[in-house]
Amino acid sequence: MIGSMRRIAALARHNTLLRVRDPGPFLSYLLMPMLLMAVLKPLYLRAVPGGTSQVATGMLVMFSVLALHIVGAATLSERGWHTWERLRVTRATVTELLLGKSIPVYAVLLLQQVTLTGYGIAVIGVRPAGAWWLLAVAIGVWGATLLAIGAALAAVVRSHGELHAICDIGALAVTTLGGALVPVALLPSWLQQVAPLSPGYWALTMLQAAIRGDVHRTLTAAGLLLTVGAVAGVVACRRLSRGWGRATLL
Amino acid sequence: MLHAHGVTKRYGAIRALDGFTLDVAAGEITGLVGHNGAGKSTFAEILTGLVEPDAGTVLIGGRTPGAARGDVGVAPQQIALYPAATAREHLRLFGGLAGLRRRDLAAASDEVIDDLRLGDFLDRRTGLLSGGQQRRVQAAIALLHRPGLLVMDEPTAGADPETRQSLLAVLRRRAADGCAVLYTTHYLPELAELGATIAVARQGRVIARGTGPELPGSLT
Repeated sequence: MIGSMRRIAALARHNTLLRVRDPGPFLSYLLMPMLLMAVLKPLYLRAVPGGTSQVATGMLVMFSVLALHIVGAATLSERGWHTWERLRVTRATVTELLLGKSIPVYAVLLLQQVTLTGYGIAVIGVRPAGAWWLLAVAIGVWGATLLAIGAALAAVVRSHGELHAICDIGALAVTTLGGALVPVALLPSWLQQVAPLSPGYWALTMLQAAIRGDVHRTLTAAGLLLTVGAVAGVVACRRLSRGWGRATLL
Repeated sequence: MLHAHGVTKRYGAIRALDGFTLDVAAGEITGLVGHNGAGKSTFAEILTGLVEPDAGTVLIGGRTPGAARGDVGVAPQQIALYPAATAREHLRLFGGLAGLRRRDLAAASDEVIDDLRLGDFLDRRTGLLSGGQQRRVQAAIALLHRPGLLVMDEPTAGADPETRQSLLAVLRRRAADGCAVLYTTHYLPELAELGATIAVARQGRVIARGTGPELPGSLT
């Protein structure tokens, strides 16, 4: 048990170092939503009721989904460098490898969401009516869901280009459908019908419910997202435990 | 130390290993030679536990490759390093994964840094190193935790003479200390320098075994 913890700690430390040395994507996914929140706030205030909450949570969800690219690239790069196979021949189990890799990336996702939430409250003017723990649960669950989806994506895509395309197109589709840009109630009726199929819909529902202090709605959405995350996590674990062998697609 | 008997492995229609049999004793250096596709790298992958054989027996110190992973040091054929991390950071990571504590890790790191002359570029990111320097870092990772079996898969491919010499010297010392070494290569003179016995692989099996002079010239 202690040996396992030490191996996870060694991997987490190393992966933190790799993240720190490549801060560009994180900064991009942090600064862009801040700018858009500030610029779009007047528009949202006039266009929709609860515009402040909509612009803050909408941008947070959209750019957190875009940050899937950070999660996916963290895993996919190991394939290009041939280091994943190198790690697999050490004493570390696949579970330890995945945990050691995931912890720093999860921290990045949490840092992004906590910063954007704080910015939404301090600068944009969001006023949470509920308990802080509810917001913490929402952010923690959404981060875990994204982590699992990102790892699953990295396990199945064939190149960084493919990952980039899926993250960009997927993020826009998932978050637009989920009501991040335009509230679901204003979408065309056929889109309103399929909106609940999008994880972005439930992320937005969860975050907005947490801000309102709606415990039941927050936890219902959190449960659903955790289920999605669990399925994605199983896919990622099964695929990554087999490795990529001599595949040379990158 | 290493016992492999009747190992077979297929990839679809391709029979990568077809009754591969090889024993390497503690303190022995065995050079595994053969044309591309002879099964050398597949066998090396089986020893690391990355690939499961379809049939046959593979034991490392009496254990299966999966169970013996901590006692195997691997220098893979391809460069497998983090470009943004330094050589020192690689040693810290892989030493930690091998279970080396702070003081042991420092001592083991100092030893491989000296043996493979990593000192000049220890704190430079590996993505900025030459191919020979990267090969040395890769070998250092394999040697760091003093494994009982070293699997060196073409470790000097593309390396400069200095790298080759320092690596061969450290392998001779490790073998003298009782480590079993399996060394795949296309360069027979290296095996002579190592004082290795040679196993010739062809079409997925070992077809001859002996020292250089014992083997027919047509095989080597």
